[in-house]
Amino acid sequence: MPYLVNKLNFSSPRWSVLSRVLAATLGGYILATASSFFISQLLMTSVGKYQAIHIGLMLTFIVYACVAMWVFSVKTATKAWLGLLKLSISFVVATWLLMQFNGVAS
Amino acid sequence: MKDNFRQSMKWFHTWVGLVVGWILFFMFLTGSLGYFYQEITRWMEPERPFVVQQISTEELLDTAQIYLEKHAEGADGWDIMLPNIRDQNLRVGWRHPAEPGKKRGKYKIKVLDVNTGDKVERRATGGGRLLYRMHYRLHYLSTNISYWIVGFCSMLMLLAVITGVVIHKKIFTDFFTFRAKKGLPGWLDIHNVLSVIALPFHFMITYSGLLFFLFTYMVLSTNLQTNEDEYREMRKEIYPRTVHLDKTNQAAKMLDISFLYQQAKTTWQASELSYVEMFAANDVNAHALFVRHETDITYNPDDEITVNAVTGEIILSKHKQYTVAAMIHNGFFSLHEGQFSGPVARWVYFFTGLIGSAMIASGLILWTTKRKPKQMKKTNGPDFGYRLVEQLNIGTIVGLPIAIAMYFYANRLLPLDMANRINWEANVMFISWAILLIYPMFRPAAKAWYEQLQLATLVYIGLPLVNALTTDKHLFNSLNKQDWNLAGFDLTLLLVGGCFAFAAYKFKTLQISKRANNDREIEKQTNRPVQVANESLLPLQQVNKEKC
Amino acid sequence: MLVLTSLSFSIMVLFCLAMTKHREQVLESEVSMLAVRFFRPFAWLLLLFTGYLSVDMYGWSIGPALLFGALTIATLLLILLLTYRAKIVPELAIVLSLIASMSIFIA
Repeated sequence: MPYLVNKLNFSSPRWSVLSRVLAATLGGYILATASSFFISQLLMTSVGKYQAIHIGLMLTFIVYACVAMWVFSVKTATKAWLGLLKLSISFVVATWLLMQFNGVAS
Repeated sequence: MKDNFRQSMKWFHTWVGLVVGWILFFMFLTGSLGYFYQEITRWMEPERPFVVQQISTEELLDTAQIYLEKHAEGADGWDIMLPNIRDQNLRVGWRHPAEPGKKRGKYKIKVLDVNTGDKVERRATGGGRLLYRMHYRLHYLSTNISYWIVGFCSMLMLLAVITGVVIHKKIFTDFFTFRAKKGLPGWLDIHNVLSVIALPFHFMITYSGLLFFLFTYMVLSTNLQTNEDEYREMRKEIYPRTVHLDKTNQAAKMLDISFLYQQAKTTWQASELSYVEMFAANDVNAHALFVRHETDITYNPDDEITVNAVTGEIILSKHKQYTVAAMIHNGFFSLHEGQFSGPVARWVYFFTGLIGSAMIASGLILWTTKRKPKQMKKTNGPDFGYRLVEQLNIGTIVGLPIAIAMYFYANRLLPLDMANRINWEANVMFISWAILLIYPMFRPAAKAWYEQLQLATLVYIGLPLVNALTTDKHLFNSLNKQDWNLAGFDLTLLLVGGCFAFAAYKFKTLQISKRANNDREIEKQTNRPVQVANESLLPLQQVNKEKC
Repeated sequence: MLVLTSLSFSIMVLFCLAMTKHREQVLESEVSMLAVRFFRPFAWLLLLFTGYLSVDMYGWSIGPALLFGALTIATLLLILLLTYRAKIVPELAIVLSLIASMSIFIA
């Protein structure tokens, strides 16, 4: 087993790249989804439910692109994961607060 | 990742582009051909008659109606597609009533010979439609898997476009800079120029491409925010449809469609009519929808007129209501498809699409050019990864155009009564591509480039000849009959062939001059590094050529 | 569309002449710095006019889309000419803009 671990060599930059790729694809997707909740809640009262959701969805690709770029620009992969986690949670919390404020069940 | 933002973005741009570059090239090239899919289909169905000029719309409508009354009995709806600048044949279509257990009935489409009023027997072919569908349907894979692969590639393309702008330091000062003869910088310039001049197009086409399957890709978000009914409601709001009356099964005598058209066209100019849809034909509820050529990127209610087919009154139907977001969404679709464009604008679209393909190709070639000096010095020869990229480059950048030509050859040469003929046309294309991808494995890169360029020349120049030998719709006849779509197709093939010939010639001469340079270098016994410049320029010329 | 492309070409030539390195490439004689200073503002003005023209000819939605297409094609043409036939750029720009303005007045 230690032999295998040695062979995998977790400190190699390859693992960092793999970790970032996962962060960008999966983490980015989750964050983009979370951002779409937030945007739609933000716009819900002014433009109506369906249009708000629609706008949120259309913007996800832009959010996703920014997130992916950001993931590959920070110093370490761990930092990228933590950042994604923080942002996703803030979006979800902000969405929840907005939902309370809007007072509509969604 | 790297020390500063621009450095890490540069790294990111390189790898994002490389990973899916070949699929993107495929998508861009087949997508660009899609701008001419009707013209391609027309060429691939040589049984259709030549253009017949000067027939009034009313006469055409009568011909179509007579045919439909006779052959489309029991069909709920009819379509009449009038000859236009893109497809100069009269076509009719109808949908049979759904069989029990099925959601929709079979749809049939026939091309009519306006002289006889009868249908034209056409060969089975995938046509331009199958070719352009490949750019998002990828042919062999199942629909869902294709959409996800295409979406993934498009997302990476979007990233490549954005990071490309970020890392391009001198986007304005180098706006017009193109140093043709300086090797690696030359390649970089070409990649930059092709990217920058069509940047609005690249962004638009990628982003709108993603919007096409918005609800597929963002399924998690949609599912969490809406239940099934709400989802249906939302889609109705985003893709509004006009509601049409259904059949009542009470037969009624319809007026002539040409007469209805007289009623409808009051506000339109002549020859603007694009197609007619008849709903609930020969029923009390029968009504015809006249649609003219698109005059707007967004929805223009004046483009459609509905007429009651029994009484001949214009029905003031409620216009489709678009929300602002839906209008933007729909506008992106129109921009992507370019259905609104006239002949010149269509060529611009096609050409810009080719610029996109060439941009991707030049990026891929840039990757190998940059690494070439280092790889060539390795004692065991270049790395596996490097060789793989080079092979894929050769097999895709020159190989794919050849494979597409093979699709056209298959159309002309496969036996007409062959079973699964449509599938085989596509199979021929993909088999040829596979061969051309494998072939460079057994040849030195420079030789493989040169040979495939020659082959490309041969197949493109040969295609009009094969056309002349197998059909009567060849260049001589089409020019004589002034059928510009048909003639244009053959002429374009010759032009593309010529471009490949030029690229091959250029490749060879630069190859020779490079070798001469090398010899001189060796004679001089200097230690200067061998220039990769010229040699790398060659494939690039070819990429430029492809745009022709 | 051809009018738009011709005008786009002239616009891009003006932008290009405003840059010293390209001016040297294209023009044989020296141009006074005063004139050069007017190239860029003039190019923007012409771009504005072409934008207006495109909307006037094709409507507010199709017009701008075609303008972008025209700019792309014109720039590609200019870049290729700059590399291979730089000297004919000014003449071509003048001829094209003449043709364009003529066809505007006729139409």
